[in-house]
Amino acid sequence: MMVPVRCFTCGNVVGEHWEEFKTRAKEGDEDPETVLDELGVERHCCRRMLVSHKDLVDIVAPYQ
Amino acid sequence: MQDYEVEFVERGDREARFLVRDITPAFANGIRRAMIADVPTFSVDELRVVENSSVMFDEQIGLRLGLVPLTTPVDEFEVGDTVTLSLDVQGPGREESTETVTAYSGDIVTSDPMVEPADENIPIIDLKPGQRLELEADAVLDRGREHAKHQGGVAVGYRHLQRVEVVGEKGEFEDDEPHILRGVIEEQEAAHASAGSGGEPRNGELVPTEAFDHDLTNRYPGKDLEVVDVPNAFVFHVETDGSLSVDELVTRAVDSLRGRAEELRDAVQL
Repeated sequence: MMVPVRCFTCGNVVGEHWEEFKTRAKEGDEDPETVLDELGVERHCCRRMLVSHKDLVDIVAPYQ
Repeated sequence: MQDYEVEFVERGDREARFLVRDITPAFANGIRRAMIADVPTFSVDELRVVENSSVMFDEQIGLRLGLVPLTTPVDEFEVGDTVTLSLDVQGPGREESTETVTAYSGDIVTSDPMVEPADENIPIIDLKPGQRLELEADAVLDRGREHAKHQGGVAVGYRHLQRVEVVGEKGEFEDDEPHILRGVIEEQEAAHASAGSGGEPRNGELVPTEAFDHDLTNRYPGKDLEVVDVPNAFVFHVETDGSLSVDELVTRAVDSLRGRAEELRDAVQL
């Protein structure tokens, strides 16, 4: 639904990078690898949190 | 009291790497565990929800708020103390053109300016028109062993310091396979003339393996190498979630270890 606040595995705070990652890599045409490097999300456990995330609030909202 | 030699390889506010010499593996692990489990930090523990018409349940919001790191001043609070925070965000009105308003950790209002969200941009929940989130939250000071949300350290660990020695030249027809090594190496003077890329090795110089892409053949091309662990020298890698600085986390972890050691000494004294 919403992006997880922290990485499930190591506990690093990843939620704060989501919006920048989304505008630059998911909606923009930048390379996700370089965006994650620039954001300082180094470990592959934290990277998968952002790479594999999908916002579902818009999909769920009509069925409240 | 024994003094220990500490040398920083990298030093930042939230991330640092440092070398400690002449400590036993048991003591190194004690420091690591104290950093994870024994340094208390503030974290939201209880909510009083006034209104929540968002797409998430109260409990889910509570979990997300609990994971937001809160700054924790040193020596101001005792374990178990609480600080009240509040959050009040409303979805977009009819006149507004946007579809959603996001409640961020930065929208949290604190009753004590010393305890505030360490990061401002963590999305808590998206709110659609007509939705509203209003709540009061109690942040409690507690230790990592009670709940992972109270851990100040993130991915805290240590490795042996490794010493790289050049033992000879590689044979002419030997495979040039990469020699991957991670951590921090200590270079030897004997290697002086042989360095490939990067700076010239001086005796005892500490080089993080990132400097040569973790591949020793980049730094010592064509050399036959021997890598040994330096006994009782450990390189700690410490990261914090922002609730404390690295300095505070490490010194408070060591203080808690010392406190318990003194307690034990007093308890068994005749």
